[in-house]
Amino acid sequence: MQMDNFTFGITMLLCGMGGTLVTLWIMSLIMEALGRLFPYKPEEKKEK
Amino acid sequence: MSTEVKSPIPGKIVEILVNVGDQVAEDEEIIVMEAMKMKNPVYSTAAGSVQEIKVKEGEEVNEDQVLVVLG
Amino acid sequence: MEDAIIKGLLGLTVGFQHLLIDWRNVIMILVGGVLIWLGIKKDCEPLLLLPIGFGCILVNIPLSEVMMKDGFIRIIYDAGIDTELFPLLIFIGIGAMTDFGPVLARPSTFLLGAAGQFGIFLTLLLALALGFPKLEAISIGIIGACDGPTAIYVTSKFAPQILGAVSVAAYSYMALVPVIQPPIMKLLTTKKERETIMEYKAKPVSKTTKLLFPLVITVIGGLIAPKGLPLLGTIMLGNFMRESGVVERLTKASENEIANVVTLFLGLCIGCTMVGPAFIKAQTLIILALGFLAICLDTVCGVCFGKIMRVVTGGKINPLIGAAGISAFPMAARVVQKEGLKYNKRNYLLMHAMGANAGGQIGSVIAAAIMLAILAGMGVI
Repeated sequence: MQMDNFTFGITMLLCGMGGTLVTLWIMSLIMEALGRLFPYKPEEKKEK
Repeated sequence: MSTEVKSPIPGKIVEILVNVGDQVAEDEEIIVMEAMKMKNPVYSTAAGSVQEIKVKEGEEVNEDQVLVVLG
Repeated sequence: MEDAIIKGLLGLTVGFQHLLIDWRNVIMILVGGVLIWLGIKKDCEPLLLLPIGFGCILVNIPLSEVMMKDGFIRIIYDAGIDTELFPLLIFIGIGAMTDFGPVLARPSTFLLGAAGQFGIFLTLLLALALGFPKLEAISIGIIGACDGPTAIYVTSKFAPQILGAVSVAAYSYMALVPVIQPPIMKLLTTKKERETIMEYKAKPVSKTTKLLFPLVITVIGGLIAPKGLPLLGTIMLGNFMRESGVVERLTKASENEIANVVTLFLGLCIGCTMVGPAFIKAQTLIILALGFLAICLDTVCGVCFGKIMRVVTGGKINPLIGAAGISAFPMAARVVQKEGLKYNKRNYLLMHAMGANAGGQIGSVIAAAIMLAILAGMGVI
């Protein structure tokens, strides 16, 4: 499939920026959820 | 009236630049601490004389821990 | 007899004769020298610039066979760069080195890691407008990931002919982050914004969270962008080993021995892609310029996104931390800390910037993965 460079560029720009943002947003939601599901318990040993 | 200078971030005290009894101005660099492999200056929050130094060089501190008491 | 001796002696001068014929090799030997000098004297990424510079000198000595078929660097190149193996091995090490704690404690900073990648796509558009073919434009844009291994991974896959220029740009600009970013950060923010204090309250994160994080991210990210799974998978594997705490030997090996060996090979190979006749072209300069622009645009987008977050959160976010949303770890976070402290002596942005910075590391990998997924979706690759 061939398309002109302009369509290609704009598609990449929109899908790329949107995709990256949405993916990271989903991941931040997951992290938020993980943090809530498994809250830190003070008696847990501090690992280092 | 005394003011406490607290540690802004968790890290290690690298160098203490003042002694008890020293006069310091506001925003003077009084302690150097290392966090995330980077040296960070800690500035005094008020002018006054150093009443007490609560940490030693090489000590690990948490954020909000009192480092120096100024009076 | 005399004739044979003269011919034999002449054989020793062939190299010099070739050097006189093609001046571009001479230039590149000098460039190699400059790279080495930068590494040693200016302490500018010596681990990379030293092998790159030496490789560059090796390959530009006329009649040198290091990059010919069966040449020793060609063998390393075919085994590690052509197969995309080296960048992935480096990623295991990066994962093993990175503590995602600050991001996990404050997931919203993760979004800054997305904004810090926008320069990739803007530069891609610009490269297309300048007439670069699609796949080369993508490889140029990826310099904006500010991430050496990602850039090498994508470029060796799609446009190996510009690998030298792209990776040199990626690595040298990473080293220049402390110079490039501060003026942009200052230009885009008001004094009041720069002085915003962000308190740091350590929010401990449970071990379960830290353990599940790499696993879940791998699965979700892999489902969204399967083409980029090698990148995401290796970085998360490294991190998983680190957080598991039971395979310390493997973690140590990944972040030290393996990463060191691979860095040496990677640098040599990159240096050896800088063959004079192929490297000295106007195109290389344009690539270097576009790469520079890419990193500037990253910073611009990151800071602007920081400003948006500031508005959304009602002034709690200092937009400067947006500049840390790029992948150059931990340089970008240090720059932010330094700049923040310059404008307000009570302002310690380090931990927040570290969060954004770690987000930027994942962000650059995700951006590359998304790019591959879109390309595959459009049928370009």
